Parts: sequence; structure tokens; C-alpha cells
Amino acid sequence: MITDRVSYEQLLGISGCLGLALLAHVTTLPLWVPVIVVVCGSVRLLLARSGRGAPPRGILIAVAVLAMPLLFLRFHTFNGLVAGTALLSVTAGLKLLETKTQRDIYIITLIIYFVSLAALLEGDSFWLLAYLIGVCWLTTATLLRATSSGPAPGWRRSLRYGGRVLAQALPLALVFWLLFPRFASPLWQIPNDSKTAASGLSDTMSPGDITQLALSDEVAFRVRFDSAAPPAPERYWRGPVLDSFDGHTWTRATSGIGGAPPPVQPQGPAYHYTVMMEPHQHRWIFMLDWPSTWDRPHAELSNDYTLMQSEPLSRPIDVVGTSYTRVQYSEPLKPRTRTRDLKQPPDRNPRTQQLAREMRSAHPDDMELVSAVLDMFRQQPFYYTLTPPKLADNSVDEFLFDTKRGFCGHYASAFAALMRAAGIPARVVTGYQGGTLNPYGDYWILRQSDAHAWTEVWIEGRGWVRVDPTAAIAPERVERGLADAAGADDPLASRWQRKTPWFAGARLRLDLLREIWRERILDFNQDSQRKLLEILKIPDPDGQKLVMVLAAAMALVLAWLTWQVHRELAPPSKDVAGRTYARLCAKLAAAGIARRPHEGAEAYALRVAQLRPDLADRVTALCRHYSSLRYATPSTRVTLGQFQAGVRAFRPKGL
Amino acid sequence: MRQAAANRLRAWVMRRHGRDSLPISIHRRRIYILPTRFGVMLGAILAAMLIAGLNYNSNLALGFAFLMASMALVIMHHCNRNLQRLSVDVTTEVDAFAGREAIFEFALRNGSNVDRCDIEARCLAGAGMGSVAARESGTIEVIAPVAQRGVTRVRQFELRTRYPFGWFYSWTYVQGLITIYVAPAPAGTKTLPSAGAKGTGTHSEARGDEDFSGLRAYEPGVPLKHMAWKVLARGGEAAVRSYSSLAAQPEWLEWSSLDGMALEARLSQLCLWVLESDAAQRPYGLRIPGREIAPSGGAAHRFACLRALAAFGAGESPEPGQ
Repeated sequence: MITDRVSYEQLLGISGCLGLALLAHVTTLPLWVPVIVVVCGSVRLLLARSGRGAPPRGILIAVAVLAMPLLFLRFHTFNGLVAGTALLSVTAGLKLLETKTQRDIYIITLIIYFVSLAALLEGDSFWLLAYLIGVCWLTTATLLRATSSGPAPGWRRSLRYGGRVLAQALPLALVFWLLFPRFASPLWQIPNDSKTAASGLSDTMSPGDITQLALSDEVAFRVRFDSAAPPAPERYWRGPVLDSFDGHTWTRATSGIGGAPPPVQPQGPAYHYTVMMEPHQHRWIFMLDWPSTWDRPHAELSNDYTLMQSEPLSRPIDVVGTSYTRVQYSEPLKPRTRTRDLKQPPDRNPRTQQLAREMRSAHPDDMELVSAVLDMFRQQPFYYTLTPPKLADNSVDEFLFDTKRGFCGHYASAFAALMRAAGIPARVVTGYQGGTLNPYGDYWILRQSDAHAWTEVWIEGRGWVRVDPTAAIAPERVERGLADAAGADDPLASRWQRKTPWFAGARLRLDLLREIWRERILDFNQDSQRKLLEILKIPDPDGQKLVMVLAAAMALVLAWLTWQVHRELAPPSKDVAGRTYARLCAKLAAAGIARRPHEGAEAYALRVAQLRPDLADRVTALCRHYSSLRYATPSTRVTLGQFQAGVRAFRPKGL
Repeated sequence: MRQAAANRLRAWVMRRHGRDSLPISIHRRRIYILPTRFGVMLGAILAAMLIAGLNYNSNLALGFAFLMASMALVIMHHCNRNLQRLSVDVTTEVDAFAGREAIFEFALRNGSNVDRCDIEARCLAGAGMGSVAARESGTIEVIAPVAQRGVTRVRQFELRTRYPFGWFYSWTYVQGLITIYVAPAPAGTKTLPSAGAKGTGTHSEARGDEDFSGLRAYEPGVPLKHMAWKVLARGGEAAVRSYSSLAAQPEWLEWSSLDGMALEARLSQLCLWVLESDAAQRPYGLRIPGREIAPSGGAAHRFACLRALAAFGAGESPEPGQ
């Protein structure tokens, strides 16, 4: 009964379930929240073990008074997702501490359900979903044990029962999930309390920054081209463009970003593709250089051709876009932009400035100067490495004249600095380059290790021209990717694995599964529902029709559920002989001779023989079969199969 | 308010189904179901889960919320099933004493392949709980206190269940007819009339001297040990051995001998005498206004006397409101 006191075992079960549900939050919650819950649970369990009840209410109030301000100090709100979860968890812990009756068990169960859901609002992996469904299964079994009167049913029985309920619920849940109308925009603004750190590229770059990324296998985004993909040397994915240089660090200029991008004339083929972005908590979306169309409503091209949306990317999105890998600028550079893109601190990197002046006097033509600098990288002992030495304030000087070892960031930074010193407007572009084709899914994977930095220089008459100094020093980086380009001092511990073909294959297959999960499950939306209705051959699908289909499907599934649930009340008869005989009688009844309730098989056969001499032989034989199946010893009787076949073949015609 | 709604429902069910002939197999159309308090809370949580999933545009959260909601629906069906096609029977006559408890026995037969767990039977103000495993039968005892002497007829009783999980409870009403004979509470200070005349403590000797005086025809309620088994075995009529002392000295428990007492006190005294005489295994008869029960002995005779006392006066009291 509801007022029954809870036992130690019930408490143990429900505390365990709560713990498992909170485990899904352990990475996002502040550490002391689970600690409070664990302490509360342990104290209550110890008390229950020694046969004592809940601690006095004063202690509960003390813990609550302590915890609530702490929570508020930490989050400044109870409204957000993490804050709400933390509040709910602490409440569950306190509830556990004061648990006395079954009523409290119900409330903790409800908290477990909601905490599990909250975890799914933060995470989106298949394993998390599977884990949480498992937790709820366990919770349901625990609840069954706790609420049954009399001796609690065994664990195995409870789990089996919970599993059956879960299995019967699945079809209905699937129908709901597929057909419940999705909204394009949220019901109300979600407080953006995402504590997730921004990942990937940032809007500043010091030499060496990208080296950190190169160690990460994390997927930045995936791309599917509608037709052939551009060749590797043209697959530059444009991220933030960095204009301000302080002698060491390149920063994205905040001034002059507004305004429409200068017009360009596309040259060469257009590429149509879909970028499937992973959330990175920045505003930019990586598009193939240079983007021309996109289908994201709240995104715009900044005037340096980076696609920016109004909100940081906190969830995965798909953007369909078009790009041209070769363009020509049709308007001259604006004076303000020119000034900005020539600026560098006069007191930093003096040797570089000296070198630039010397090279400029030798090569008055801009393009010649560019080639001369690239040749310098190629001919002098410059090395492309993942483990460059650290650089101090005059980073370009140190790199160009002393260390000569660097990663893409070093080369881009040094090249742009040289150009600026030589009077050519230059800027650093960060983004991703190349990518790995997943042949199993025919899409490209861009990992953090594909992060790259290159430069653009302004050439009169052509506009901004991409120059990738890394391609000069390590062309294989651009052609084949990092794993091939990095030297023997590659710190990537897993490099041997990537070079093992079967491992690479398995990894790509796994990525395909992840991609399918993302595309089919995580990104299921109004469009997908419309497509679903089209598959169902419903003309002009819209929201109203969707609801109608949902209602119809629900009616069907509920009918199935009712049948499924009640089937066990009257199980189908195991008496095959009896059923077959009943079928025979039904056939004869259809032919006009119904068996009377008192008639045995032999008597019935006799009567049929009198009324329908044409059927006499067969009916007599079949009735004798039935009798022998029922009454004869196993050795003498005909087989059940023979009897069944005989009845099946028996088709009496009506009179 | 809830009580009023329940009463209206009971009256409506009574009109709808009329009297049932027991045993009855419970049809699904007469099973009602509502969420419990916790079920309502679960509903609220499910709604919150749905809104959270929609608002965060999270397909996984939505899927999880739908799964939980579907589980609730499945559980509703299971709760409903727990009563369905359960065969119910109940003892039609119950004897009790005023101020004590009446015991109703509900016989449940479960012909299905599923266990029926935690079935609660309710009758009058009492409730009892039990489970019936698949393809088995069981009984549930419902113990309800009865306060007033009289004959009470219970025309409707209830079976309900919260199994499984207690998110829902489903219930059904069965219109049977249980007659409860509530005898007066045995009480009083007067000794048995005969005891006063002959003195106590002589009964056993007196019975020891009993002489066999012949056979008389069998009538229901005669103590089995007085049956003439040998006669019956020889193929003769059922007969009772008659003893001279038994035949000669029947004890009459007289209403008129208790003049001057209040009605209920009088009945209580008579009830006590009936029980005392029965315990002493002496033949006794009961004479109250409007009813005379010839002297005899045994359980059936005792019940007849107690029921006569219960029914005295107003005869039958109406069914108390529940």
C-alpha cells in the first residue's frame, strides 16, 4: 500500500537507478551535485540497513538551505538546462534522504525519468539513448518490485515484465516519433546556457595554434557533393578570415566586417553540396571557397566571404550551398580595407621587414614577388612539422631566420607578414583543407586534423588570390592530408593505426553509421515527415494530413496493442487435431450439413454419408482419421499431417 | 464530490447491467480505469518531457518521451487486463454479530495464461487483497465491520486493481446479492431458564443418563452423531436416534421470559442463550413474536435461530449507503 514503509531493498534499488540516471550527467554537472546525492543516498541506506527511518526533517532543511544558494551562485538561474538538472538532482537526493513510504518512491521514479530525458537534451549519441532506455527499464522493474503487495517478485521476473512492457510500447513510440508534428522554431527561446566549450578554429591565430587541432580526430563537418568533388588542391573550406596582425597573433578584425561582400565573377564550374556541420559554438559555417548561395535563413556572408550565422552553432545543422573554386573580383579594393590589410606593427619583426624591402626591390611585380617568397620556402631548409619550436614576440623573424620549422600557421603568418611588409595587402584565412572520402557513404569527412591556415593576397586586376605557402613546402599536405605530410617526428600516437587499411576501413564504416544516425535520427524534421508522407503516396502532404495519418496509425497500433495484450487471456488452442476437425465441420456446415452438438465423429460421418453419398467416402475416411488420432494407440494412427492435408484438400460443393 | 461521482457511477452501472448471475466472468466493457494520483503526476511529467523535447528540437528526447508515454499506455492496457475475464463468485449468505465483522469470501478463477496480481475486493467498508496465478483459483477474504443488528443485503461489490506499477487503477462493479444476517451482539446477565431450574453442572450427568427411546424421522440440523447410520446403511430411511432425555426436556428460549427489558437487550440475551445452549450441545427452541423454531440442535439450527433474531422486528434493513 501507499503508506507502507519502504524496505532497505526497495531503497537500494531506487537509489541505484537514480545513481545510474545521474551518471549520464556527470560530465556537465558540478562535481558537488552528485556528491550531495551520493551522500544523501548512502546516509539513508545506512539508516535503513540498521532498521531506522528517515532522519529528522531539520537535517533535510539544513541540506536544502545549504544547497540551493550554492546552486544559484553557480548558475545564477534555475531556468537553464544544466541548472535545472542540478536542481532536480539535488531534490532527488533530498527526497531519497526523506524517503519513508511508497509515495516517495513514485516521486523519485518520476525524477529519474525526467533526469534521463534531460541527458538526451544535452547529448545525442546512440549509446546514450540506449543506456538511458536501459536505466528506465531497470527503474520500471524496481518500481514493480516496490509496488507489488505481498512478497516482491524476483528481479528476473520483474525485468522480464518491464522488458515486455517496453517491447510492446516500441511500435507506438515509433509511430509517435515518426508522425508527431515537429515545429520549425522552438516554442520559446531556450536560455543559452551551454557550457560546452567552443571547438575547432577560433577567430585568432598564433603560430602553433592549429598544431593543437592537428592532434584531434574529432569530426568538424561532413560534406556531400551533388556531383563530382573538386580536386584536392581546390578543396579549401573557408572559415574566419584574420586581418589584424600584432606581430605575433592574427585576429579577426571587428571593424569593416559589415556590408555586402564585394562582387566577384565566378570562373570555372559551380559545385553544389551539403555541409553537415557539427556544433562548434562559433557563428561561422564552413563553405567551399568561394560560397555563392546557401539555404540557411539566418546566415549571411561577411564582406570577406565567410558565411556567418546570427547565433553560435549549438546543434548540428545541414546547409545546402553552391560555390565556385575560382573567382575574379570585379571591383578595386576599398581604401579602408587596403589600409587595414597592409598594417603591421612597425617595431616588430624588423628582419622580416628588411627582407621584404629587399625582395620587393628585386621583384617589382606582385605575382613575381609571391613566387619568389614561395621559392624561398622551397629552396631554403624550411621544414613542415607538427612539433615546431616555441616562438616569442618577434615570431615571424624567429621563424624565418632561426628555427625554420613550422606548421601551416607559421607559414601562413610569415607569408602574410612578408607580403604586408612588401606593400601587398594580405590576410590569413583559416579553415579546413582536403578531407577524407568515406567510400561507404560517398561523403567527405573533415576532421579537426584537417584544419588549415592559408593566405590571400590582393593582386590588382584579379582581386584576392589564394596563396597557400604550405603547399610550397609540403605539397603532399594539400594533396593527401596531414597523416602523409607530417614527418617522422609525428606525435600522433595513432598514426600507425590510420595507416593500417582494415582499421581505416572500420573507422570509415563507423563514421558512416554515425552519419546515418545524425541524418536519419537527429536531423529528422518537417521535411523528413513530408518525404515520409510522399512515400505513403499521400498527395500534397501538409501538417493537417500528417496529424490525420498520425491518428490513423495510432488507431492501428493501439488495436494491435489491445490484441497483443489480451491475446494471453485466451491463448490459441494447442489442440491441432481438434482445430482441424472443427475446420472440417465448418466446411461441411457450409455445404449444408452442420454437425449437431451431440454427434460424435462416426455418427456425423454416417449422417453425411446418407445425405450426401458423393462425399461419403472422403468424410468417412476423415472422420475415422480424427477418431484414430484421438483414441487409437500412437502406432496405429495416421499422422496429424495427413489428417491436416486431407481436411485442407476437402472442398465439398453445396447442394 | 468524488464520493458523489462514485455513487452516481455505481447507480448507473446497476441500471446498465442489472443483476448478474454469479459466477460471472468480467467483461471488458464493464471495467473502468482512471489514473491514480501518481498516474496524474506521471502525465504531467510526460507533458513536460514532450514540451522539453519539442522546444529543444531534440529528436532523441522526443523519442524518449514518446517511449515513456507509450509505456504508460501499455501499462494502462495491462492494468485493464488484470481484471478482464476473471471469474468471480461470492458467498451469498453471511452471518455476523453486530459490532463484529462480517467475512465475505470472493472466489476468483483465472482461466487465462497471465497471473492476476494484487486484486482488491471491496464490499461494504471492507477490502481484501489477493493474487491468482495463471490457470488457478483463489479466494479473497473481505472483512467488513457491521454495526447494526438486522438483515442487510449487499447488491453491489467492487473489484479493483492498481497492478502493475500503480499508475492506474481499474475497477468493476458486480451486482450480486449477498444477504448478511447480523445477529444481535450476544450479551446479557440472565442465566438459561433451565439452568436456573435444575442447577448448573448437571447437564453432563443428565446427558449421561440419556436413554435411547427410539427412532424418529430425520430433519435438517440434527447433530450428526445422533444420526442412525446403521439404519441408513441397511437401506432404510434416514433416521435420528431419539433419546428420552433429549426428547423429554427441550429448552425453550422465550421472548416472554425477558419482560421488562429493552428490545435490543432482550435480543442480545436471547442470542447469548442460543450460543450457550449450542455450546452445551443441548436441544433448544426459540420462541419470539412472530416466529417459533422447534427445539433441535446443531449448526444449522443455531444459524436458523440467529437469523431469526437478526431478522426480528423491522425484518430487513435497507442496504447501507457506501
